[in-house]
Amino acid sequence: MLYDLSRADARVKWLVTCLLLTFALAYGFGGWMVALYAGFVPKQVAATYAPSQMSMAMPPESTVVVEHPMTMSQFAEAAPHQVDTALLVQDTHVHVPMYGVIAACLSVVVLGLRMSRRAALGTISLLFAAPWLDFLGMWLTKFLAPGFAWLTIGGGWAMAAGLVIVTVMALWQMWLMKERTVS
Amino acid sequence: MTTISRAAALSAVAALLHITPTVVLVERPDAVAQLLPGADKFFAREVHLADADAHKLHEAVDWSPVDGVLTFYSGRRGTTLIGLLEFVRVDTPHGPVEVSVSFDTLGTIRGVIVTKATVETKPWVLEALRAGLCSHYRGLTPTATPAATAASAALRGSVGELPLYMAQEVDKGVARALAAYRLFAQRR
Repeated sequence: MLYDLSRADARVKWLVTCLLLTFALAYGFGGWMVALYAGFVPKQVAATYAPSQMSMAMPPESTVVVEHPMTMSQFAEAAPHQVDTALLVQDTHVHVPMYGVIAACLSVVVLGLRMSRRAALGTISLLFAAPWLDFLGMWLTKFLAPGFAWLTIGGGWAMAAGLVIVTVMALWQMWLMKERTVS
Repeated sequence: MTTISRAAALSAVAALLHITPTVVLVERPDAVAQLLPGADKFFAREVHLADADAHKLHEAVDWSPVDGVLTFYSGRRGTTLIGLLEFVRVDTPHGPVEVSVSFDTLGTIRGVIVTKATVETKPWVLEALRAGLCSHYRGLTPTATPAATAASAALRGSVGELPLYMAQEVDKGVARALAAYRLFAQRR
């Protein structure tokens, strides 16, 4: 353990608590946003990232025109939010650095927790691997197969799990754990 | 301690770069009612572009529609054509903006409505709209050059930098709609 959060100055404990609760708030709204724009089941995630595979995989040899009647109410039907390649490039560019910074912050907290080296290495790996899985899933869903939506869902839940593990352990060790007389 | 503070500061900076969610400024049915007034029958004409045509459009306005499909919505009253309508998405670094452009039967622009923005861009778009952005597009014909569609130029000096920037993005949407109309609206 590089430092011990449970014995840290109250100001450091308060800083870490505020940081973790802020992340928790942001993740809560992140989950809400996912529910609004993508969904939590593979079918919805696949419809968000791989609509092209579901409609027409290849451009036609000559331009094709298809006309069909529609009602005014069909204009109101919520089209699923779709992320095309350009938007996914943009999303990846702006999200991945932020996820890296969040994972780094949480890893710094992990370094101050009382846990075995192996558990700390595992937790840090989880914190960084989760967003990788999330975005890898999006790209593979778009370009390989809709089934990779599972990877994105798994990555999202892994991010949430990482935050919960670190937050619960840190809050417990900083504020609730009784100090033992251990060297 | 310093590390944590630095990391927190970096997070805040990164959060500022985050694209905010889409917000609906005008519901599509309301936009359709305003842009195709009196129409009681609607048709969606989907033009699935072949590579050569997609390239032509890309060369004209540096744009490819999502999945290579352009959709024109026509409105009729009985058997009389009222006009055509397109919803064009413009991706900006602050998230997408959706511009609805309608054409009368002569092919000139009848009206333009910005139907979607993002939480972040909404106030900028609204300021540009309040300054009369969309009125400058009325009457443009499909042969208008992208430079001619730059209604944002008329707003320079009367709105802030960010509303002006969003107005330029709306210009792009209108230029795309005009090019798509010119090249493919009459395609059967």
